[in-house]
Amino acid sequence: MVGARTQSEPPDTRADTTAPDDALLAVRAAEGDEDAFAVLVQRHAAALIRLATSLLGTGAEAEDAVQDAFLSAWRRLPEFQGRSSFGTWMYRIVTNRCLSVLRARKPVAPLEAAGDVPAAEHATSPARITEGRDAVRELREALDLLSAEQRACWVLRELDGRSYEFVADAVGISQEAVRARVFRARRRLTQALGAWR
Amino acid sequence: MTDRTDPSNSAFTHADDELLPCGRLVSRTWDDWEQQTDDAHLRSCPHCRDAVRGLDDLESVVRGLRAESADTSAYDAEPLTRRIMDVVRLELRPGRPLPLGEPAEDLWIMEAVAARALRAAAETVAGVRAGSCRLVDARVDGTDGTCDSGGVRLDIHAPVGVSLPELTDRVRARVWEAADRELGVVLASVDIRVTDLVAGTADDGQEGRTP
Repeated sequence: MVGARTQSEPPDTRADTTAPDDALLAVRAAEGDEDAFAVLVQRHAAALIRLATSLLGTGAEAEDAVQDAFLSAWRRLPEFQGRSSFGTWMYRIVTNRCLSVLRARKPVAPLEAAGDVPAAEHATSPARITEGRDAVRELREALDLLSAEQRACWVLRELDGRSYEFVADAVGISQEAVRARVFRARRRLTQALGAWR
Repeated sequence: MTDRTDPSNSAFTHADDELLPCGRLVSRTWDDWEQQTDDAHLRSCPHCRDAVRGLDDLESVVRGLRAESADTSAYDAEPLTRRIMDVVRLELRPGRPLPLGEPAEDLWIMEAVAARALRAAAETVAGVRAGSCRLVDARVDGTDGTCDSGGVRLDIHAPVGVSLPELTDRVRARVWEAADRELGVVLASVDIRVTDLVAGTADDGQEGRTP
């Protein structure tokens, strides 16, 4: 059975052990040190781009979302109290920025279809769906059938391997609500991929 | 259920749930799968195994998607960083101007700029990393009337295994000197707070970093 998940904090992206750590840089940036902020951006950009790309599905939108998130962070840094790490704080800001983008998207499928996704004919064989890139492309398309919240919760939990507690904090809803959304997302994705029934 | 933004964030809703012929809910079977519960029923029930197989198949596609996403590890953050910093540097964040020179002179420096110079000076001492650096402007914060009475409150991370009084004396001297030489300010006080002790690194030998 495959169910194990990593429950770690966002990866430590520090490559240069001689440079000041994130906490010091965040304090400096909060006091207006642009150079310190530039180091933080450089350090965290790749991981946040990966997160935003997973959430949004496209690289161009992901770059815009991450850029907006960093600018928002720069303006809000004086209020950043360091209760969480800078990386976790940014993770939350990027997630919320992406949620806004997802909410603003027009539905790609008729509304009725979102609730009851028929399995695509060519994908009805369970063996079929595990076949490489086609299956991945189908999964990408199926993600567009999810609501913004379902997609965000599923991506953070399933794709990014976060704990329910972490996802609840990042999205700003209860753990129970996250569980409900992940469950519904799994139902729709398994149906859409024809993986089950 | 047909909208794309869920109206409620409250309790677990079972709207999409389903009772399997064995009497178990799909949600429970999937929960057990996720928590890797060792359950005899789960192992033997064909309906539960079917339900779990769906998730296993989904998981195998997810692994493919995860592998593709991981390709961005080679992402070059340089252009994005440059774009972000271009905007950051254009934005005028409210900051405090501090007076330089005599009270009658109209010469000012932004606190953030002065702080950066003083942090860099502190970090010329081996193993020291500077954090918060606040300048106390005597003309604003005190009563003396000359800028020479301004002071600095500096937080540092110090290396373990060194004499802290000696270390802070050296940091104080460097900060003092930089304020005088680079900013033209004679500081009345340099208050240093050691906020952490950190293990030294290979680069933190005898010489500190040059500002």
